[in-house]
Amino acid sequence: MSQPAIQMCPCASGLRAVRCCGMNPAAMPPPDSSRHLMPLVERAVAAHRQGAIELAEKLCLDVLELAPDRPGALTVLYQIRKDQGNHTAAEALIRRVVALDPNNFAATNECALLLLSKGAIQEAELQARNAIRIAPQNPQSHNLMGMILTEAQRPQTGEYHYRKVLELSGARDPILLANLAWNLKNQGRMDEGRTLYQESAAAAPGIRQTLLGWARLEEADRKFAAAAGILDRMEQQWPDDPALLLSRAVLLGRMKRYDEALAVLDELAKLASDGRLGPHELAEKGRLLDQMGRYDDAFAAFGEGKRLSRDIGGQHYQDEIAGHLLGRLKGFFTAGRLNTLPRANVRTGVPQPVFVLGFPRSGTTLMEQTLSAHPRIVAGDELPLIDDLTGLMPRMLNSPLGYPEALAELWMGDQRDGLDNLRDYYLQKVAQMSILTQGAAWFTDKMPLNETHMGLIALLFPDAPLIHVIRHPLDIMVSAMSNHFTHGFFCASTLETAAKHYVRVMDLVQAYRSEMALRYLPVRYEDMVTNQEATVRTVLGFIGAPFDPGCLNFHENQRYARTASYAQVTEPLYDRSRFRYRHYRKHLEPVIPVLRSHIERLGYTVE
Amino acid sequence: MVPVPMAELFAIAAGQERAGNLEGADRLLNRILAVAPGQPDTLHLSGIVAFRLGRHEEALAKMEQAIALGVDVALYLRNICEVYRTLNRLDDAVIAAKRAVALAPNDPLCLHNLAVIHYERVEIDESIDCAGQALMMSPDLAGAHFARAEALLIKGDWAQGWEEYEWRFRIGGAAKLMPATDKPQWDGTPFGDGVLLLVADQGFGDVIQFCRYIPWVLQRCPNAAVACAAEMIPVLRQFMPEDRLFVRWESCPPHKAFSALSSLPRLHGTRVENVLAPVPYLRADPVRAAAWADRLRRLAPHSPRKIGIVWAGRPAHTNDRRRSAKLADFAPLAALPGIALVSLQKGPPADQAGQYFGHAPLVNIGAEVRDYDDTMTLLTCLDLVVTVDTSVGHLAAAMGRPVWILLATSPDWRWLLNRDDSPWYPAVRLFRQTLIRQWSDVFQRVAAALVEGGGGSLVATA
Repeated sequence: MSQPAIQMCPCASGLRAVRCCGMNPAAMPPPDSSRHLMPLVERAVAAHRQGAIELAEKLCLDVLELAPDRPGALTVLYQIRKDQGNHTAAEALIRRVVALDPNNFAATNECALLLLSKGAIQEAELQARNAIRIAPQNPQSHNLMGMILTEAQRPQTGEYHYRKVLELSGARDPILLANLAWNLKNQGRMDEGRTLYQESAAAAPGIRQTLLGWARLEEADRKFAAAAGILDRMEQQWPDDPALLLSRAVLLGRMKRYDEALAVLDELAKLASDGRLGPHELAEKGRLLDQMGRYDDAFAAFGEGKRLSRDIGGQHYQDEIAGHLLGRLKGFFTAGRLNTLPRANVRTGVPQPVFVLGFPRSGTTLMEQTLSAHPRIVAGDELPLIDDLTGLMPRMLNSPLGYPEALAELWMGDQRDGLDNLRDYYLQKVAQMSILTQGAAWFTDKMPLNETHMGLIALLFPDAPLIHVIRHPLDIMVSAMSNHFTHGFFCASTLETAAKHYVRVMDLVQAYRSEMALRYLPVRYEDMVTNQEATVRTVLGFIGAPFDPGCLNFHENQRYARTASYAQVTEPLYDRSRFRYRHYRKHLEPVIPVLRSHIERLGYTVE
Repeated sequence: MVPVPMAELFAIAAGQERAGNLEGADRLLNRILAVAPGQPDTLHLSGIVAFRLGRHEEALAKMEQAIALGVDVALYLRNICEVYRTLNRLDDAVIAAKRAVALAPNDPLCLHNLAVIHYERVEIDESIDCAGQALMMSPDLAGAHFARAEALLIKGDWAQGWEEYEWRFRIGGAAKLMPATDKPQWDGTPFGDGVLLLVADQGFGDVIQFCRYIPWVLQRCPNAAVACAAEMIPVLRQFMPEDRLFVRWESCPPHKAFSALSSLPRLHGTRVENVLAPVPYLRADPVRAAAWADRLRRLAPHSPRKIGIVWAGRPAHTNDRRRSAKLADFAPLAALPGIALVSLQKGPPADQAGQYFGHAPLVNIGAEVRDYDDTMTLLTCLDLVVTVDTSVGHLAAAMGRPVWILLATSPDWRWLLNRDDSPWYPAVRLFRQTLIRQWSDVFQRVAAALVEGGGGSLVATA
């Protein structure tokens, strides 16, 4: 008689699926019934502490087979899997610990850190918020929140939490100072950041991450010699450090010393155990090769970088989720329905938003830098607030439905002013971000792909200008390949999915524009490059701001653009980025049929 | 070899075509052609079916093949000329139509088709002549009367034209004016002891154009009522109380006589020299106007010049392929500095607003327009309206707003020929195509006129 096959959990925790991710919580024995296993758990903890990992692992697996809800065993097994680099299992295990005991600060903290390291920032923030609720006076929880918010492009709020750590701890921990310095760098407050890095490095000269961050600050601030000096200093201590070498290559690239930069990356590859570069290094290599005119090699590097990124990070285009949401948006925002929905009132007496829309890498950073060179316009950067609102909306409107269907609540008498509340949430968060300066009449929000939510934006801010930056779709594809970004449901993980998402979003934009009266202005990136003054005049005129010649010299704008385009927008306009796709014509062949109708509709051709 | 009773099959297919079962006829005819590809009658009928199914190129290929087989059949030529006309091949159309007339000089339908083609080629005298010849052979041929009416009217011979125009309701397949009635058609004689039922017939543009006669009618028949489409109520209630407007036949009051609104110019005796033009005879609601002005100011606050645009009429209109343009054709206007285009477009062509990426901002206000009251109030907020021949053009013109109407080479009769103004509407400026179905030079001229400062002064959108 044959035995049924044991089905191990796909998360690779080492447990059976029915004792791990496939567990039925209702079938769990009461916690007390497994108290006799506590000695085994204690032995596992002790073994792990003493470095007897195999024994600790075996004990944990034994305990969890009998009692899958023992937090101690789960925590030790989590630690083991995490140390082994098995992130999938580690995440599953720590999530279970948190679910079993939501007041477990250490586990919540770990869970948040793990999620942050994998780039799941929204979820990480939820966990970090819980950690602060559990331990509001614990500096560690605020530190974590500072890190997450800095990564979540809300550095101003992150700064608050870092400063809270300083206050609670009563000490100036060098690592904390370095974290705060990085945060300030992301706010463009370079001098303050530099001072903190100096203090941090003086107090603890041997911290690699501090020096790396400092070098990045100097490089972003165009202090190339200072950046090189810091990297030289690092090199004495960590000559073969991969992050150092990558920073060196980036710096050399910005100094246009492409051959040397490439040589550094080659050196980096030799140092790797498999002799190959990682995703970010490959993207940088591709960009260098592109600058050198070696386009086939560049595209090969981009493609390999994408492949590795998918293999390592497991980030694939969320095709079904994206298609479902965009389809629902198209179905909801129809002229007939919109004629029955209210609009938020315009809140006066505060700076008004200007939405800079566009696919990632379409020129939104250039547009924001240009506009924020105007004395009455400040840059808000990529504000995640519209996306936040789509998540908060059901709760704020007290709806059982999700976004966008939750907007149906606006027909109810008690939610007539629901849009005003949503609008105020957005404006309040902007105010908290300290981006609004004295005398500012407008602020920009250039979150890429906010055009996906153009219907909602027009309901919340019916008077707000929507500046949609248009660029040749094939140029956008080249940029999507040469950069790693997570926007658009990870669409840039392959060329084909980037094109697919582009088409979906542009179709949705078309539907919004057919169904709604919008204050919408399409602006071609190419016009900004070749016909700068006329384009700037048009855009400022559309916003209602008087022309300011400073906008033509946006590269002198002292503001630091945080996104991947920063290196480009700190230089005068150049023509190289226009119709760059021509160099990659054959590589883009698979997506040309997909994009052709949009290329033509936008008035471009394929040459 | 399977014996195919082709004659029988062909007869069945012809019956299906006559009965309107086009898909069935199509299948059957293609089966016959698979066996006998060189059969001219089958090719011809298959071409007709393909044409009626909207497959114009295929229709033309089949009908040309039928003719090329060397059989000089007038019917083939009479029909192919209509296909040529639809495909804008007017030279081929007139050659085919003349050959048809030569082959069948006693067939009034051949002459009727030739009259229609001459009209489209703006050969108006020839059109009148051909229609006249057809009517000599067949005095009750309603289509020929109507063709003659359009030609006479566009030429400015309204005395004869109005009389011929009365034949429009007798054309085969044309919509009836109203349910069958034993009441007489009004002859213009005043009466006060009963109701005169006016029927707001034809398209919305016609209603807007001819509603100017209602005060003239009320002087003669104070108890007039109007049967109309619900959409026309905002327009017609400016002339009479809303309880005298009826949108359902069964609700209409008992009446002593009836008249189509579009027959009133005949009864009035309107001539080019004495057009009743009390413009403005339509006005916007000032309360609504303030709200729309505010909305428009918010959507296009800093554009010194707001130009309303409409690029297409109702797609089902028989003349739509001639009169409608595309939003993309407005490119020369969109390239001008200092303007915002305000789309008043409704219906399926409004989708083109989503595909616009021109220089000037486009405000798709049409998406928020619910009725003609909205349209009228919006028109008061605009500096100018540029439109193809649609009801919005009539509305703006009836309100005395600055409006430029863009016309085909052979426009609707009401716009007459060779003039850029209209006796019907003093505020209208007409821009005519110079090449058949070519809009590019029309829009270039419109853009040039805008640069020259045409289109009226700026309006205050307070």
